[in-house]
Amino acid sequence: MSKSKRLGMIVDQERCIGCEACSVACRIENNSKDFWIKVETQGTSVKDTPVGKFPDLTLNFLPRLCNHCENPPCVDSCPEDALQKRNDGIVILDQDLCTGCKACLDACPYNIIVFDENNHLAEKCNLCAHRVDKGLEPFCVLCCEGQALHFGDLYDPESNVTKILSKDNVFQLKPDEGTNPSIYYIRPKPKRRL
Amino acid sequence: MTENEQVKLIRTACPAHCGIDCCGILAHVKGNRIVKLEPADFPDERDRRICLRGLVSLDITYHPDRIKYPMKRIGERGEGKFERISWEEAYGIIVTNFKEISEKYGWKSIGWVLGGPGAGTTKFGAYLRLASLTQSTRVSAWGYGDAGLPCGSRVIFGHQFPYLYLFGEFWQRKYPELLMIWGTNPAESMPLQNMRKVLDAKEYGTQVIVVDPRFTVTASKADEYIGLKPGTDSALALGIMNVIFQNNLHDKEFILEHTNGAYLVRIDSGKMLRGKDVDAKKPEAYMVWHESSNFHKALSRTSVKEASLTGTYMINGIECKPVIQVLMDLASEYTPEKTAEITGVNKDLIVKLGKRIATAETVRFLTHMGFTRTYHGDISLRGLISVAAITGNVTTSVNSGHVPGILNWSPFLKAIPGKPSFHRIGILNLYEAVISSNPYPIKALWFAFINFLNQCANANKIIEEFYPKLEFIVQTELFLTPSARYADLILPVCSFLEFSDFLAQPYPYVQLQQKVIEPLYESKSDANIVAELAEHLGFGEYFKGGEEGLIDLIMASRSFEGITRETLKTQARKLPTLPEGASFPLSFGTPSGKIELYAEQLYEDGEALPVYLPPIEAPITPGENKYPLTLVNGHSRFRTHSMFANVKSLLDLNPEPIVDINPIDAETRNISNNDIVTVFNDRARTTLKARISESVQPGILDITEGWWIEQFKEGSLNHLTHDIINPVQDKVYEPNMHMNDVAVEVEKK
Ligand code: SF4
Ligand code: SF4
Ligand code: SF4
Ligand code: SF4
Repeated sequence: MSKSKRLGMIVDQERCIGCEACSVACRIENNSKDFWIKVETQGTSVKDTPVGKFPDLTLNFLPRLCNHCENPPCVDSCPEDALQKRNDGIVILDQDLCTGCKACLDACPYNIIVFDENNHLAEKCNLCAHRVDKGLEPFCVLCCEGQALHFGDLYDPESNVTKILSKDNVFQLKPDEGTNPSIYYIRPKPKRRL
Repeated sequence: MTENEQVKLIRTACPAHCGIDCCGILAHVKGNRIVKLEPADFPDERDRRICLRGLVSLDITYHPDRIKYPMKRIGERGEGKFERISWEEAYGIIVTNFKEISEKYGWKSIGWVLGGPGAGTTKFGAYLRLASLTQSTRVSAWGYGDAGLPCGSRVIFGHQFPYLYLFGEFWQRKYPELLMIWGTNPAESMPLQNMRKVLDAKEYGTQVIVVDPRFTVTASKADEYIGLKPGTDSALALGIMNVIFQNNLHDKEFILEHTNGAYLVRIDSGKMLRGKDVDAKKPEAYMVWHESSNFHKALSRTSVKEASLTGTYMINGIECKPVIQVLMDLASEYTPEKTAEITGVNKDLIVKLGKRIATAETVRFLTHMGFTRTYHGDISLRGLISVAAITGNVTTSVNSGHVPGILNWSPFLKAIPGKPSFHRIGILNLYEAVISSNPYPIKALWFAFINFLNQCANANKIIEEFYPKLEFIVQTELFLTPSARYADLILPVCSFLEFSDFLAQPYPYVQLQQKVIEPLYESKSDANIVAELAEHLGFGEYFKGGEEGLIDLIMASRSFEGITRETLKTQARKLPTLPEGASFPLSFGTPSGKIELYAEQLYEDGEALPVYLPPIEAPITPGENKYPLTLVNGHSRFRTHSMFANVKSLLDLNPEPIVDINPIDAETRNISNNDIVTVFNDRARTTLKARISESVQPGILDITEGWWIEQFKEGSLNHLTHDIINPVQDKVYEPNMHMNDVAVEVEKK
């Protein structure tokens, strides 16, 4: 089965202001219990606090969502085939098939699948497949305050994301896991001190 | 597409955020229920946006705690016990009380406390019109944090706001070489209209400097962060000016043309030297020292070109100096060493900063209210503007783009031309008016779009001395806020999705806040409440057409020609653009018509120059202090002041009030993360959770403003703040509350 598309996202840390509008937007759009995109403050366990000593500080945010991995271990782990990788690259969790066994929760190296204790089912970001299928961009991308989220087809040489990838120094989360995430990150730009 | 058949899309706009962001919102409606909100289109697609508060607006509209019908107090004030009444009963109670009180004390004793209407215009205008018709008192709420900036701006620019002069071009996406973000945190307070452009500017190549006592999210994006002590901004400004003058880097041409820098000051009286002092023809003319003729001359277009900026001159036996010389003399005291000592900023950094500002091709100064909420915050702004002015970085004309829209306030301010209008009093002066009848007694108050008790200084004073003196309190509200609990009558108002208003924001647009659904329960818009009350008071003819009539009234201004209520229903409209090559001068409303680096009218107050005067309470200088810590309050992205504090979807991310404490202060007090601590001073004890954070420097505590009183374990933020009036601000415009100038101590509970 040839994959025609690889839909993914680029998260620009330079533009992310840690506002969590993405988290709020996603939860409304998907009517989810938990947040499928979570904004971490890098280098500390205390949210929204900088690292370093006053006034030499850094504060960077890392929005984390399902990576829509090229090689998704979650898909293999699910005994019910509730997790599927689509031809366009989106990894879908179909709650109609999910039985709540939690196998995928352990399988995902990014710890990104959440469990809804109310209906006892797993849930995660489906890259807004319901919107993408209508030609719309993911809701978090539309609502991102800093315009830090870029969505597109990583295979298409003309797409905005491919263009960004070619010029910026990007990274993926946990590259050693061999999952090849479709979510890329741009590091904050170096400071131009006085 | 069956879904689309049932779902109606209506464009409206969110007025919540003090007008600046003012996001266009596309509401999806099924029947009379809004099912979804998303960012609406703008003529320029880069302006399409929404913030996390706008996103959860439906949680306000459909909040289970909404006040659903008019209610009359049945318990004690503050107890929160009310009973349902009808609108007719409510109007009856109001009319009876207003009659009684006005007969006893005059209509003047009835005040309308109008808070921040956000970008809303007619809901504000309606009250002004009724206040004008009844000649009652309009209580201006600039003073609950937002009067310091206008005070400073009025003195130096002669204008309420400094924005167009300092960063109008930035709003037009013309990005400078250097952007100074001073005393404001747009990442949380104006994420879309301002912060997005900061990020765009950085991408464009602008170097960004942030001056702020807190290491904010905005600071984290800066190329250089200047972490000064709170309230020391004017010392920093003087230190910067000293570097600029010492290196002879000031922009002489600009100073001569646009400021009063060359005007001669009499050293004996501190006043400007005038024609009459030297027997010149024009007695009121300002005088300059004319370099080539080596003689004084009356100010004129030509004489100023050759005027001297420095030196001391004896004229008719009067010692005189040009304003710039006087400013240089003051600045020379602020050596990098001394400035560093006062501000806590590294001295080499001050030198580098001064040189960079003076040598960059263009510098824009992005600023707002935050740093002006200290006792001398108005002078802090003047210091910043002085730096901009002596380096030629004040914008003096709009050379392209959109002419700012002027709202037609006159029918609201003066409902009947030729007849007297309302009386006006500042919100901080209101304390005295109510408590001691000074300058005159206020006996009844109507609060609209304001959470007075929660958001104003010195809560205990309000509860113990202020409320008991009032004979009648009305509040229009969506929720039983800490303030509404003290009302005698609560009137239910709509959320912004249930009524229409005209919004002249965000620059360069105007928008219609279009009614999306009919008002829920028995709620009404403020404008319609006022219109109905006016009818009961015999002024109905001035409110014909209700909401819509008022919108047409305020839009009747030449700047909105061609824009109608109808045309705004589907899209925001841009204000008219200037023709190619045309330019629109930004005038200065000061006595001299120039940027006044020196304000002679404040000489007796010791504030003719942007002097550094230490904070009134903040213990920033080391020494013996009963309360050794400075309390400041930042803005939280989760709230617009006290709005959204009761929204569960945001409380999930940010559940309770916290106080940020620097690790050094925490350690000496044995406080760790998540400990429950009490912040206290002579006024109150406030108990809440601690967060250990380097975002505040040692000696500073930060509690974000807007949490409701009942969300604290004890006290609240404004139980700790003071209501001391700065008499100079009182004289210039209106005194401000100084919430960032407060002394406290903290201990583990
Ligand atoms: S991030 Fe986790 S859940 Fe998402 S595709 Fe990869 S393995 Fe699966
Ligand atoms: S929880 Fe659901 S999706 Fe996950 S492995 Fe089990 S059945 Fe599959
Ligand atoms: S892509 Fe859609 S589902 Fe995924 S995080 Fe964004 S909003 Fe949520
Ligand atoms: S909405 Fe955008 S800017 Fe805000 S936290 Fe999410 S990614 Fe960052």
